[in-house]
Amino acid sequence: MFNIVSLIFKYIFIIIIYLFILSIIRLIYLDIKGIDTKALNNASYLKLVNRKDTLPFKVKEYYPLDKEVYLGRGKDNQIVIRDPYISKRHLKIVEDEGNYYLEDLGSANGTYINEERILDVVKLKNGDRIRVGQIEFLYVGRE
Amino acid sequence: MDKEIKRIITVLTAICILFVSLMAYLTYFQIFKAESVKMNSYNKRLWINEEKILRGSIIDRNGKILAYSEKVDDTYKRFYNYGNLYSHIIGYSYREYGKAGLELEYNNTLLNISESTALNELKNIVLPNTEGNTLKLTIDHHLQEYSRNLLKGHKGSIVAMNPTTGEIYAMVSLPDFNPTNLKEDWKNIVEDENSPLLNRATSGLYTPGSTFKVLTAIAAIEKKDLDREYECTGSANIDGYILKDYDGKPHGKLNLEEALVKSCNTYFGEKGVIIGKDALGEVAERFLVNKKIDFDLPVSKSSFPYKDNLGETDIAAASIGQGKLLMTPLNMALIASGIANKGDIVKPILVKEVISPEGKVLRNNQPQILTKAVDIFTANEVKNMMVESVKRGTSRNASIKNVRVAGKTGTAENPSGKSHAWFIGFAPAEEPKIALAVVLEEEGSTGGKAAAPIARNIIIEALNTIK
Amino acid sequence: MFNKMVSYKYPRNLLMLFELLALFLLFIYSKDNLNKFTFIYGIGLILIVYVSNFLLLRISTGDTYIFLIVTMLISIGLIMIYRIDPLLGIKQILWIGMGIFIFFLTYLVFKNIKGWEEWTYFYGIGSIILFIITLLFGSRIRGAINWISIGGLSIQPSEIIKLLTIFLIASYYTRYEHFKKQKYGSYYLIATTYLFILFLFLQRDLGTVLILYTLFIALQFIYEENRRLILYNLLFSIVSGFLGYLLFPHVRIRFETWLNPWKYIDNKGYQITQSLFAIAEGGFFGTGLGLGHPDFIPEVHTDFIFSAICEEMGIFTGMGIIMLFLILVYRGFKIGINQKIKFYRIVAIGISILFGIQSFIIFGGVLKMIPLTGITIPFVSYGGSSMLSSFIALGILQVASEELDFEEAKDG
Repeated sequence: MFNIVSLIFKYIFIIIIYLFILSIIRLIYLDIKGIDTKALNNASYLKLVNRKDTLPFKVKEYYPLDKEVYLGRGKDNQIVIRDPYISKRHLKIVEDEGNYYLEDLGSANGTYINEERILDVVKLKNGDRIRVGQIEFLYVGRE
Repeated sequence: MDKEIKRIITVLTAICILFVSLMAYLTYFQIFKAESVKMNSYNKRLWINEEKILRGSIIDRNGKILAYSEKVDDTYKRFYNYGNLYSHIIGYSYREYGKAGLELEYNNTLLNISESTALNELKNIVLPNTEGNTLKLTIDHHLQEYSRNLLKGHKGSIVAMNPTTGEIYAMVSLPDFNPTNLKEDWKNIVEDENSPLLNRATSGLYTPGSTFKVLTAIAAIEKKDLDREYECTGSANIDGYILKDYDGKPHGKLNLEEALVKSCNTYFGEKGVIIGKDALGEVAERFLVNKKIDFDLPVSKSSFPYKDNLGETDIAAASIGQGKLLMTPLNMALIASGIANKGDIVKPILVKEVISPEGKVLRNNQPQILTKAVDIFTANEVKNMMVESVKRGTSRNASIKNVRVAGKTGTAENPSGKSHAWFIGFAPAEEPKIALAVVLEEEGSTGGKAAAPIARNIIIEALNTIK
Repeated sequence: MFNKMVSYKYPRNLLMLFELLALFLLFIYSKDNLNKFTFIYGIGLILIVYVSNFLLLRISTGDTYIFLIVTMLISIGLIMIYRIDPLLGIKQILWIGMGIFIFFLTYLVFKNIKGWEEWTYFYGIGSIILFIITLLFGSRIRGAINWISIGGLSIQPSEIIKLLTIFLIASYYTRYEHFKKQKYGSYYLIATTYLFILFLFLQRDLGTVLILYTLFIALQFIYEENRRLILYNLLFSIVSGFLGYLLFPHVRIRFETWLNPWKYIDNKGYQITQSLFAIAEGGFFGTGLGLGHPDFIPEVHTDFIFSAICEEMGIFTGMGIIMLFLILVYRGFKIGINQKIKFYRIVAIGISILFGIQSFIIFGGVLKMIPLTGITIPFVSYGGSSMLSSFIALGILQVASEELDFEEAKDG
């Protein structure tokens, strides 16, 4: 009995190991691809304004925007920024009929667009400056 | 900084190349070398199967049991009914000493171990295998025993076969050993100077002496413009070396047939130089010299290094079967078979059938022509010369009343000892049923005196008893 | 772009599935010797591995893959070790547990304590002291004096020395300006390295010689400003290699056994031929766990664990392990390249080279691709010293993978 099980399992083990390897390679690959900026040409995105090396946490230069993008300190956001002044789930940006709308999700320190703290949902315009925590972004919209 | 990064990447690439080559080597190993590596007697895994499986029996062509296994206490014990007689053919199978002979070459068949594929693995687990297959040999036990008795007291080998089917009726190699007592005798066997473990029939390499002249004769026939006439004075000066005939006696006027019948050294020596080493070598290779012979047991390659820079003396020596020539008795028997079988050499067969435990014939080895060594006319021409050699030449001692026997003797000088006595031949000449090679190692006597009578008796026995 | 489908959860869960299946299989295998504790240990380890991976993701901003890869490696190794000898398997579980703990400990220590690059002399002298202790008090096991027994515990000082050497080289090149000013300063490193190699020759630990030497020459190739020194080094090593071959019979033996082990099949070549038999028997998919005979190979739980894995789990698993190491080394190098601070960069690259070369040497050795040397596969082989030092190295690598930010300006 054991023999048959072992026989079957040996194929299963190999499959699992290779799936494992493949998924890690894929993750690494996606990681690398994440810095690729060529694909940004047609999309709207957020551009970092601060000097990257003044910040004590990892931030990217560009964050492309999808249909729905959450920004915060927590790992399950699309944009993760480990800024202690940014809340776990700080804000979200949604796309509707070609326009992007930003909504603060009840963050502790607030979200500022062009230095004005927002309370409602705001439609983003090309060139808007968005400040969260210590970060300042420039919204670049597709026009 | 940039330089540094480039260098870092260089080191990384180097390591990557190392790893990739590792994977490549692993694959190469598994595909190409794994099979042969596994088949080593030190691989204990080969033995694990043994304990659970009844190893198949080995029987002769008439069904006589030569080796079998039986359960004794808790394990299977192997019995060799005739001890020494089949020590080289069947070999042995022991945990401590490994395996040899057919026990090694047909190990998987005797244990009914199939190729390891996924399907077979599954099969083995669901229906485990308990009995191996039986090997039915081409050997005729009576002839084998008879031949060995004739060779007893001498060192050497006898190979007797059917020239049209390739079946080996008898294969003897002396000295031999008793596989049943291997444990007790191992030290003596291994240290014995005469190498009883060596299967002289397949692996013994001897200078063939005058028996090789049949090939020189073939080369002579094929050289259409060769002048076959010769005046033998008993000695010839070949490039500074004086080649002599037996006792220095001159044979007088000779043509090719007479030269072969009387086995004249000077004739073949001088004609050989004219024929040239390449033509001679090419004929030899057609008769499987320098070639791997496909057989149920491993066979050493006979060698004639004709492609080397050979001087006339060397060529002359080779033409009369001396010098840098080395032949196995099996190869000589195949040469006799080739001439007997109208120029076609058949594949030698030792295992006739593989029979399953239930009695079903799983494999039947049919006769197969290995190579067309020479055309039928040349073969017949040499055959007739060999018949004359037996009728009135040096092979007289092989003649049999009412049977046309073809043969050729040889007395090979052995630089490290006494000369070897050879005989090759076949009978009956019109429709040969048996071809053989007999060699008596370091006998010190001529082929005609020592080897031919043995061959004669074997031929008579074979023709009378083998169906 | 932000592909939700592939997340870190996927490989982590795969790993857990793998471990659970293996646990299940091993249980049926040793169903006569089942022990409540074994079961607890097994489940315990699976949980620890899962939690550690999960935890690390939260704690560290650095690389998340290297730990994941390592946990897969230790799982495969553990399965094989347990199958060969359940007692060793349990011990290995304990070592792994300790190792993971040391990993986190090292991570915290190394991240928060600074100034490692100042202690160049300490690393050098410390290693020499360890060497001397080994030579004086060490016990010779299988030809190499490699172990010291303290109380009931045996440790391998060479494992510590490997790490110290990396630190030595890293700190040396970080403070290169400082050393260049001293008389003969630029030769300190070469001299020290050859001294170490000499010690190792005396100890007959040829495997570690290869590792240290490769480490040194690779790092020297990257960082040595005086390029001629590299050439001298190469020439000198070729010469001393020949000398070593001629003077030391045990070097010759290794070569002869490598070239034709079949000739020496019943003594010197026994190990390597048994290893080859096992690998050949396995085929591409292996015989299946528990269905092969890895116990025919001597030293199977340490040096030849790879052969056993190839026998029962197939060449494909063997190649999988090689690929995992390759990815590990690649990540290590990537970490090094991305690290801005020189000391940590060199350390990261040094550790990656260590993992890469050590595993290559032993894989090549058991396959008969290169001569056999008695070293372990990091994370996979059985062994406390090896496991702990490998996890320490991994911890250091993990720190190096983060963006370290120290107020003092470092020499670029």
